[in-house]
Amino acid sequence: MRRLAFIAMAFAALAAAAWAPSPSPSPLLGPASLASLPAVPVPAHNPMSEEKIALGRLLFFDARLSGDASTSCASCHLPQHGWSHSEALAPGYPGHRLWRNNPTVLNAAYFRHLMWDGTLDSLEIQARSAMQAPVEGNGKAFMVEMRLRLIPDYVERFRRVFGSEWPQLDDAWRAIAAFERTLVSDPRQVPFDRHLAGDRTALSPAARRGLALFEGKAGCVQCHHGALASDEGFHALGVPRQQLFDSNPRVQIAVRWQNRQRDVPRAVYRNRDEDLGRYYRTRDPADIGKFRTPSLRELKYTAPYMHNGVFATLREVVDFFDAGGGETANKSPLLKPLGLRSEEKTDLVAFLEALSMERPLLVAVPELPPILPLDGVVSTDCAAPAPAAKGSL
Amino acid sequence: MSWLQKTFRALPMLCLLAAGWSAAKAEAPQLQPLPAPAKVDPALADLGRHLFFEPRLSGDGSRSCASCHIPARGFADGEPLSRGYNGTEYFRNAPGLLSVRLKPRLMWDGRGTELTAVVREMVLDAQFMNGNAGIIAERIRQMPPLFALWRRAFGERSEPRGEQAFLAIGEYLKTLDFGRSAVDAALRGEAGLPPLADQGMRLFTGKAGCVACHHGPLLSDGKPHRLGVPEHPALMREPLRTVSLLRHVALHKLPNPMATRGDPGVYAISKDPAERGSFITPGLRGLNHSAPYLHNGRFGSLDEVVDFHDRGGGPGSELRPLGLSQQERRALVAFLQALSAPLEKVAEPPAHDYNAVDGRRW
Repeated sequence: MRRLAFIAMAFAALAAAAWAPSPSPSPLLGPASLASLPAVPVPAHNPMSEEKIALGRLLFFDARLSGDASTSCASCHLPQHGWSHSEALAPGYPGHRLWRNNPTVLNAAYFRHLMWDGTLDSLEIQARSAMQAPVEGNGKAFMVEMRLRLIPDYVERFRRVFGSEWPQLDDAWRAIAAFERTLVSDPRQVPFDRHLAGDRTALSPAARRGLALFEGKAGCVQCHHGALASDEGFHALGVPRQQLFDSNPRVQIAVRWQNRQRDVPRAVYRNRDEDLGRYYRTRDPADIGKFRTPSLRELKYTAPYMHNGVFATLREVVDFFDAGGGETANKSPLLKPLGLRSEEKTDLVAFLEALSMERPLLVAVPELPPILPLDGVVSTDCAAPAPAAKGSL
Repeated sequence: MSWLQKTFRALPMLCLLAAGWSAAKAEAPQLQPLPAPAKVDPALADLGRHLFFEPRLSGDGSRSCASCHIPARGFADGEPLSRGYNGTEYFRNAPGLLSVRLKPRLMWDGRGTELTAVVREMVLDAQFMNGNAGIIAERIRQMPPLFALWRRAFGERSEPRGEQAFLAIGEYLKTLDFGRSAVDAALRGEAGLPPLADQGMRLFTGKAGCVACHHGPLLSDGKPHRLGVPEHPALMREPLRTVSLLRHVALHKLPNPMATRGDPGVYAISKDPAERGSFITPGLRGLNHSAPYLHNGRFGSLDEVVDFHDRGGGPGSELRPLGLSQQERRALVAFLQALSAPLEKVAEPPAHDYNAVDGRRW
């Protein structure tokens, strides 16, 4: 496994050498220039293996990891919606509604900091955080871990992959993270990556014009550069308020709870019914309203857009930037009205779409292994368990 | 060491002394009528009543306290083994809540010593309602009529807090009492029992010796005892029951939870191996409404329970065979039935709904 990680790192270095125009601190952050994705980075503490990935794939789709066995990772990160959710604010755990647009899992493996406010540092931590947060998975550790231990197929798989007698919950997060590291764009299917690799016909004329605007007049590349088309930095754009914050009781509950959960000062909790973004991590008022620059890869499949999902189409996003963004206290000085003509906006959208794979990355929903009596006792009145296709209990 | 700790350290000695003293005085444990109703804060208890029936206290908003503590079933659920939260199956019987304020130790394994703390466990624990105190507070704020009750109970400028919600539910529970039974009337000398029940009462306090453990106003000594009640086969047959049992064992840090095959009872709490498989004596009021019986609901009728005690219980039991005749067993059952009073109708509060609120105005 160590060798796999080494190979991954070697690829990353190669990629940096091949595509980054000048030396940069990270192969993902070519300054002010786009790049193709290198091989996915794999942390030394969680090497990849086929069996681990297969286990992670099962767990990703298994709702038994949540409190009431209703919600799997895939409930909010749907493969058919670009491993994200079609609604601006996804429902999350039953009885709730989330306060932020949930980001796609695609290429998440490349980010150094996850989430819109950059508060989590690895896929392993993110998996645990999401499945245990009351508004997302609400799965408490002992209960979920014990469920896994009563699923003989999992016991066997965890044993093979991790060498443990019984499934350990932390290993479940490792397996899910390993699976997520396979959910990355295939450069052979991304027109822009083929373009970078030298295929002069990969981009349509409109997309080529869009690329020129992206790197030139529109200035998008100032923040959207590197292999992810993100500087991984935090910027305030003045994105319009999500109207669900004013109309949806569950969203309002979520906003207040998130603010209190993050232990903001009392006056902030009482007077700011909004998402304060990067401020939660730094507690610097200058960071209020700043959110991490999202990747621009796979946008074709991940609508709606922005941290609150307020824009339904890429055209709306482009219109917003063309207008120089919105109103907000800490607004980025980089945003200025662009004066784009309608055709130019169309070209920009064409380029953005060329950063997505031509066909979405899908994975067959696996058949999940059944939960069975511990000692293999199967009596007549509980019969042979039906194949638990949806992870039903 | 605080005086409290000192008292606890000295407790075994005190108990011995007390036992010796009571033996010397030959004071037999007594049946007692129900005491007067508890004094409660009416606004707090009313808020607690609304919260008791409010499913939004649970994680997924689907289950209230009343889902397993059903008023028409004496605030139990009528199942041998309670279900618990969605996606789980519990491994014990849901106890009724009438006169719960009089129980010295709560829960079958006695792990509850304080009503509010038990309410907190039930609402927050993954097994029961899987709620979150902070979410509960914000949900209450989102239901204006409930929020108004909150401020009536806690003050005009008060804000919802999970911990205080548990306090309010506890206050409501203090208002729940068994009705006055035929036995209460007899104990107060107001009316005699029918002959069969009267014979049962004499057996209860005499030959059958039930009163040794079943005394006081609830007919419970509040202490752990082992009767050797057979394990419920569902514990190992139904995997979700096993999950909840093994999780309980792991949560209470008993060694080797994966090797557990039966209910550890009080042992999981006290860690005293002598208490393996023992459970807190249940009260005997309201039994007509709270079948099935015992910690795992193994017995569906009082006849079965009396037969079981008459046999001296099961393997490892503290009980001795009683040698009761069939007629005597019937008399005992008649007495037990006379300990029930008709259930009072409980007024369920109307369901509350969420409203969108002006986020900048609290």
